Amino acid sequence: MALAAKLRSFLRNRFFSRRVDADLDHEIHSHLSLLIEENIRAGMPPDEAQRAARMELGGIEQVKEQVRDKRMGNWLHSAFFDCRYGVRQLRKNPGFTFVAVITLALGIGATTAIFRIVDAVILRPLPYNSPDRLVLVKEHIPKVTPDPIAVCAPDVLRFQRENHSFVSLAAFRGDQFDLVGGTEPQRVHVDRANANLFSLLGARPILGRVFTPDEDRPGHTVAILSHGLWQREFAGVPDVVGRSVSLNRQIFTVIGVMPATFIFPLPGMDQGDAADLFIPIAFTPDELADEGDNFDYSVVGRLHLGVALQQANADLQVIAHRIQETYPVEFRSDINLGAVALPLRDTVIGKTRTLLLLLFGAVAFVFLICCINVANLLLTRSTDRQKEMAVRLSLGASRGRLLRQLAAESMLLTFTGAALGLAFALWISNALLGLMPPDIPRIHGVGLNPAVLGFTLGLAVIVGLLFGVVPAFTSSRTNVVDSLKEAGRSTTQGPQLHRLRGALVIVEVTLAMVLLVGAGLLLRSFQRMLETQPGFRPEHVLTASLSLREPQYKDDSDIRNFYQRLLERLQSLPGVQIAGASSDLPLKAGWNHLFTPEGYQPPPGANLNLCNHSVILGPYLQAIGAPLLRGRYFTDQDTSASTHVLIISDSLARRYWPNQDPIGKRLKWGTEASKDAWLTIVGVVGDVKQSSLDVETAAHTYESFLQNPISSLNVALRTSNDPATMASALRSAVWSLDPQLAVAQVQTMHQVISESTTPRRFSLFLLGGFASLALILSAIGIYGVIAYSVVRRVHEMGIRMALGAQRPDVLRLVIGQGMLLLAIGMIIGTLGALVLTRALASFLYGVGPTDPVTFVTVVVILAGVAFLACYIPARRATRVDPMIALRYE
Amino acid sequence: MNLEPTSLLQGTLDLLILKSLATGEMHGLGISRRIQQITQGTFVVKAGSLFPALHRMEDEGWISSFWGDSENNRRAKYYRLTKPGRKQLEVETERWGRISWAIAQALQMP
Repeated sequence: MALAAKLRSFLRNRFFSRRVDADLDHEIHSHLSLLIEENIRAGMPPDEAQRAARMELGGIEQVKEQVRDKRMGNWLHSAFFDCRYGVRQLRKNPGFTFVAVITLALGIGATTAIFRIVDAVILRPLPYNSPDRLVLVKEHIPKVTPDPIAVCAPDVLRFQRENHSFVSLAAFRGDQFDLVGGTEPQRVHVDRANANLFSLLGARPILGRVFTPDEDRPGHTVAILSHGLWQREFAGVPDVVGRSVSLNRQIFTVIGVMPATFIFPLPGMDQGDAADLFIPIAFTPDELADEGDNFDYSVVGRLHLGVALQQANADLQVIAHRIQETYPVEFRSDINLGAVALPLRDTVIGKTRTLLLLLFGAVAFVFLICCINVANLLLTRSTDRQKEMAVRLSLGASRGRLLRQLAAESMLLTFTGAALGLAFALWISNALLGLMPPDIPRIHGVGLNPAVLGFTLGLAVIVGLLFGVVPAFTSSRTNVVDSLKEAGRSTTQGPQLHRLRGALVIVEVTLAMVLLVGAGLLLRSFQRMLETQPGFRPEHVLTASLSLREPQYKDDSDIRNFYQRLLERLQSLPGVQIAGASSDLPLKAGWNHLFTPEGYQPPPGANLNLCNHSVILGPYLQAIGAPLLRGRYFTDQDTSASTHVLIISDSLARRYWPNQDPIGKRLKWGTEASKDAWLTIVGVVGDVKQSSLDVETAAHTYESFLQNPISSLNVALRTSNDPATMASALRSAVWSLDPQLAVAQVQTMHQVISESTTPRRFSLFLLGGFASLALILSAIGIYGVIAYSVVRRVHEMGIRMALGAQRPDVLRLVIGQGMLLLAIGMIIGTLGALVLTRALASFLYGVGPTDPVTFVTVVVILAGVAFLACYIPARRATRVDPMIALRYE
Repeated sequence: MNLEPTSLLQGTLDLLILKSLATGEMHGLGISRRIQQITQGTFVVKAGSLFPALHRMEDEGWISSFWGDSENNRRAKYYRLTKPGRKQLEVETERWGRISWAIAQALQMP
């Protein structure tokens, strides 16, 4: 019964609101007439009766508003009206709306874009089954390198057999094979893997099967495709299982296809890029004989339930100790073999976490600055609207109603901003993906998922409420009588609001300062890195990678023949000046070798001597432009029949033979005890940056290919014009010798350099972008506050000028006001930056986190921009005509 | 005493309105005067409290309204109790009795 009445009222109020309102109006008016009548009957004169009645009633509109407020369904009604009114208000002020929405879109968009990446890379778990119990098992030889290294083949088996902590351990090793299937032979990433790898990770094939334990033994030519390769090379056809593929000219049978979500290995697992296909690990007897050598295999393990990491580590350490006992006696003391288990997640995310959290912090600063700007705009507007609020209060609106109205308006603003921001975020994060360095694990597709949407929505709601409520309080606290009395006259605004606005500007400057310093430091590091002498001349150099494999190239003479003939052909190509080849290219890392110089007495406790080592063929050093400092380059006379010779780098010569001529000195591979032959130094070349421009140059040795033929070489061509145009000539030269050989990584040396600077470029681009945004936004913020204060103080300026103040005085007054805020902000900002840039330390190169040049430059830039932001409104203040300003009264 | 619809007194205002209407239909001013009279001037209900309460109670379905002529032939909106309104009056009366008895007991304690 009552429910039906309620529903009826709700519908009536909802759909016949005009009639309901008219009815209410009649009722109140009739009530008034009855009151007047009563008063007259009590003997009052008519006008007195009317006045008393109105007093008793207390305002027709107020009573009506109070009734409406109590009505059924009122909340919906008023929410709708609030929104409609809000839209109208916002459309009436397109300038304000535009600036506020764009600012919010920038802030929300940038934050969402970074969150998208953070979410995909850090927040979501690894895409394997119960990934928190997965670890990477590594060996450790502290004297050779401080970081744990991968595992050697015989040790893999011992760890697998002897551990008590793991459900299972699976080894894998990334390699690059030539795949022949499509139009051109191509190099693909192949991982040799234990059969149990898939079940250990909880991965099931979408087609076919995975390896059987039996296939862990040599002799099984079966392959599992990744989803990507299946789509790329086999057009995703389902009958691929059972087909044959040629890998390094050996026929393999496809037995399965993994799902798209299975990406393995990830960065940080030491085996390079994600595999295009998997083949059985099938250790050869040779590999299993490599005791204490070739630490090449990564081992992933799943901990038993209830086994802690420390227990597993102790377990592994015991096995490592046992393994070391089997080493030759003279070896044992030097090696000191250890083993550790590292949580898989940490090794994968590792340094990326710091970088991404840093960027997230930076974007949070930008977001705050955006919020401050919009808050300032809203504050300004709410001051302007005090009269409107006063009128509405006096017409019977309750303060709560006004608050709701203002909240609706700011919600409209933020949601429009958020929607635009989301579009902006999608666009920008796709651009970011292109810039992202390959060492950031792309674990999950950086898609638009509920987490990202929720994040954006959450931001919008929080910001909207904050914005709605804060300025709303100042507006709704309006004193009706005072505001109405002011009657549109502009006055100097209340000191409280003014101080709040000033404080917001200070915060803004502080944040911008910190961001600018951070970006400045990264920029300087980047500059320093680009200024670094790479030790070679990258102009006009084209490189490509080749790998000769059995059975086509069985012995050294096959390999030697091929490469020598290739170099001859390349050398004769028109446009090629010098053609050489090397096992490793600059900036692409390479082998590390343990060596012992003849007669060298290491200082006690010194680390073992390590150097980069390259095998080179032909005039490789001349081709990349590494200068000869002493002695000679290799010649065709350095063959297996002649003395085994070496060329060393300048820094190696200086370190081990300071102030001596190293030519004719000797060194050998391995430790003091090693029985390797002595190698004679015949030349010294300048240092070449081998791993990265921003890493200290390591000692380097070069050996002649003719004395040590190896199967994989990188060709380097010095060309007379644009090297990129030589790429196809290079490919055809290779294929004229062997049409089945893949020519991989055809790149100019400039591309090689640019690839090696990608990580820095990424962080610099982002932080630089955020800092510029912060600079512009805070300039807008300062401008807004100063310009507004000038408008509010026109009257004051008029009086000052009428009393004899000169234009420079006014200019100084206004600019001084802005500069004071700026100075406070910069002082706090400098202190903040001194503390916060320490987090950047690991990303810097060649500059300290407190680099004075950066700090001073940032102060100058910020002060300059802020000065400009104050100067423009200040000049406007000087143009005030005192007569006009005063006539406003 | 002015009756403002605070949370405690809101129920009281409802009760007084229901009670006034129990004797017959009445317009707003009539209800206001009736309350003044039956509480012997203790409660003066102003329009700002009375009309919101009336409309709310109408929405609840306790009272219904119609336009009629006043004693002096003026158009006025009249209210009367509905069936649920009578029930509500009983409930409220009973509840109020309990509360006032309890309060009285409490205040008599030494």
